[in-house]
Amino acid sequence: MSILEIENLGVTFSTETGDVPAVRDVSLRVRPGETLALVGESGSGKSTVALAAMGLLPGSARATGRVRVGGTDVIGAAEADLAGLRGRTASMVFQEPATALDPLTRIGAQIAEVIRNHRPVPVKDAAREAVELLRRVGIPEPERRAFAYPFQLSGGQRQRVVIAMAIANAPSLLIADEPTTALDVTVQAEILDLLRGLAADSGTGVLLVTHNMGVVADFADRVAVMLQGEVVETGPVEEVLLRPTDDYTRRLLEAVPRLSLADPPSGARDRPVEEPVVDLREVSVRFGRGRRAVRALDGVSLTVRPGETVGLVGESGSGKSTAARVALGLVAPSAGSVSLFGADLGRAGGRARRALLSGVGVVLQDPVASLDARMSVGECVAEPLRVHRRGMSSAERRARVADVLELVRLPRDLAHRGPRELSGGQRQRVSLARALVLRPRLLVADEPTSALDVSVQRSVLEVIRELQDELGFACLFVSHDLAVVQQFAQHVVVLRAGRIEEEGSTATTLLHPRTDYTRRLIAAVPVPDPVLQRRRRDERRAAMGVKA
Amino acid sequence: MDTFLYLTRRVLQSLVVILIVTVVVFCLLHALPGGPARGILGPQATAQQIAQFNHEQGLDRSLPVQYLYYLRTLLHGDLGTSYTLNEAVSRLIEQRLPKTLVLTVLSALVGLALAVPLGMWQAVRRNRPVDYVITTLSFVAYSTPVYFLGLVLVLVFTQLLPWFPSQAPQGDTLGQVLAQPNALVLPVVAGAASMVAVFSRYMRAATLENLSEDYVRTVRAGGSGPRAILWRHVFRNSLTPVVAMLGYYVPVLFGGALVVEQLFNYPGMGLLFWSAAQSSDYPVLLGCVLVISVATVVGTLLADVVQRIIDPRVKAGRA
Repeated sequence: MSILEIENLGVTFSTETGDVPAVRDVSLRVRPGETLALVGESGSGKSTVALAAMGLLPGSARATGRVRVGGTDVIGAAEADLAGLRGRTASMVFQEPATALDPLTRIGAQIAEVIRNHRPVPVKDAAREAVELLRRVGIPEPERRAFAYPFQLSGGQRQRVVIAMAIANAPSLLIADEPTTALDVTVQAEILDLLRGLAADSGTGVLLVTHNMGVVADFADRVAVMLQGEVVETGPVEEVLLRPTDDYTRRLLEAVPRLSLADPPSGARDRPVEEPVVDLREVSVRFGRGRRAVRALDGVSLTVRPGETVGLVGESGSGKSTAARVALGLVAPSAGSVSLFGADLGRAGGRARRALLSGVGVVLQDPVASLDARMSVGECVAEPLRVHRRGMSSAERRARVADVLELVRLPRDLAHRGPRELSGGQRQRVSLARALVLRPRLLVADEPTSALDVSVQRSVLEVIRELQDELGFACLFVSHDLAVVQQFAQHVVVLRAGRIEEEGSTATTLLHPRTDYTRRLIAAVPVPDPVLQRRRRDERRAAMGVKA
Repeated sequence: MDTFLYLTRRVLQSLVVILIVTVVVFCLLHALPGGPARGILGPQATAQQIAQFNHEQGLDRSLPVQYLYYLRTLLHGDLGTSYTLNEAVSRLIEQRLPKTLVLTVLSALVGLALAVPLGMWQAVRRNRPVDYVITTLSFVAYSTPVYFLGLVLVLVFTQLLPWFPSQAPQGDTLGQVLAQPNALVLPVVAGAASMVAVFSRYMRAATLENLSEDYVRTVRAGGSGPRAILWRHVFRNSLTPVVAMLGYYVPVLFGGALVVEQLFNYPGMGLLFWSAAQSSDYPVLLGCVLVISVATVVGTLLADVVQRIIDPRVKAGRA
């Protein structure tokens, strides 16, 4: 018998502009002990299916069809009956560990609440069980940590707490909605190991919602691929990932950037010899003062030479974005020097500094937040011209904006639209157009595609690369995604806790890393091939001294 | 941060703020036309009489000297002598302050006790009849001037329905005031009305925001019912911004007391301030302003301390 049975599920959201169907005619099953991965791009309806299974759809949603969890119908069930189901028969792990926990309640108490929701256990016993659960999910010093507030834990630890809450009553179904998307790869690997172990121990069925094919290969037994609210392909993980039958699945898998693990045909190229466009020398950055000061960068030296792309990688908090901001002149180093196009940025003031900085374009991660919603696309793109090319007539400006929009392969008449009317990929191209409108010699791209779906990511990266060939700008490319960096950068710098761990040509560094840290970082990246990933996982665990 | 260190630092900061307030008020008062001598001695006083008065009161010296002189006596607990009432200002404040405190603290407590649950109720019943009705009443209560509301209260509850006396409790001691709880009802209601209106709006907004937070979904997914979600989680989280607002609301409460005391003939700080302002009684005005600014600073300090207790992130400097 299946622990989760979904038959002909349809979900419609009522909005101000009418009903919007989000999920159509979806049928799925999860058997005990089995992991079904539900994959698809944003807006495909995969999270909606997960929420429907928990009876957690928002009030504006209407569900039809049948959803049975452990034999109980969920659709149309009373809230009290659903509360009896949630956290006991079925439980859920969410995407964003930063906000998933009540900030004002100690974590032990939050876990104990889930226990006491379903079992008449005295408070003291529930607290003891909570400590035991914290130990099981790998929180160090659980007796002490149970009294911690969420803000006192790291993102990975918070996710472990959410998992502890989810397994508190040994559910038969665990629904995990992008459980590792907000985490670093090394933490992601640990969390996936943890979930896999817990599911295997107790025969729990898992519904894993994710967009990451590497995670699917690492974890799932079966896969269902969703597109625009419908399931287009279902099958065992090896079949779907290695021999997809559906066109869309094939395209999706092709777009996934893959970490290549074998030597590329062409060896490492030499770096250009010209004078670097940006040169950070022994740069340190400290935030805050006194004992609470944080050393974000500690003696970092790096250069980007004309025409080349330098990848800056590292885990969150490693200082990669800070280094990019130093290059942009947004953060002043507390020690060391920054030279831009051969001139000392720290000494340049006023007009000279502005002139230097006008040679740098920037693209940031969040395409929604980085464009002013009150300005039209044309105004957004024209703004650098208004700041740095004051003599330009508005007709010239309009012409330049139209040209640069065409350059990033957007229609010229898009200039009159608002950023909100555009898709994520289009918005990021507008950001790119704005960055390139001054014809910069350096482009700083901080996680430019991390918020985008893989297919969109690929097209944006292609545009950047083609324009780089055409216009010859250098690029400082910040990313947590090693596969993207491997495809995109010629030189890579690995940061760890504000220091450079190692650097070298991408071809050698990412294939034959010299340091343990880089090796661990690479080993933790899941590859979208279940057979290969299983081997990599065993190797990684063996290297860490864990039995497979 | 260590709580003791934090408190020490905050108290020192507060003292600096109060000092600045005294400077500002001192300068403002001396910038008023006419000066106090004309106000005290009346339009018939001769120039000689005014000069003599100014000399006796030290008003002919330079402003900084006058200010330092004022500050020195202040440190001795001496706020000067009222020009018109012929009594020590400290003595006047000593008599009046407890009464005003009774009025404002009761108003604040009653106001909050109503506002918090009302705001939460509205949030839970968002965009339903209850929400609309309370929202409308809130706007009416907020936009009605206190003196008008007070008059309506007096008319309805002393004339049409003779339930309460129209005068606030009389008497010089706190005991005498508290012995007439019946007479306190209308003044407290008048003082609390706008507070209920304002704080139920804050609470409604804060509750709505928290209800849509991710953690609520996590708690629901753990099988907690709506009641547990609301009282165990959303309530505390919504309270923090409201508590922060409370400190800034102290001067508003004192401002309200000014009107309420007039209306109900309740001899507290408000009435004292009013008559002192009318007769340019500088020492009393300065004393009152000082007391109100101290109350505001203390209120803000208390709000911050309470917030540190409710929200552990504040203590760690993370929020």
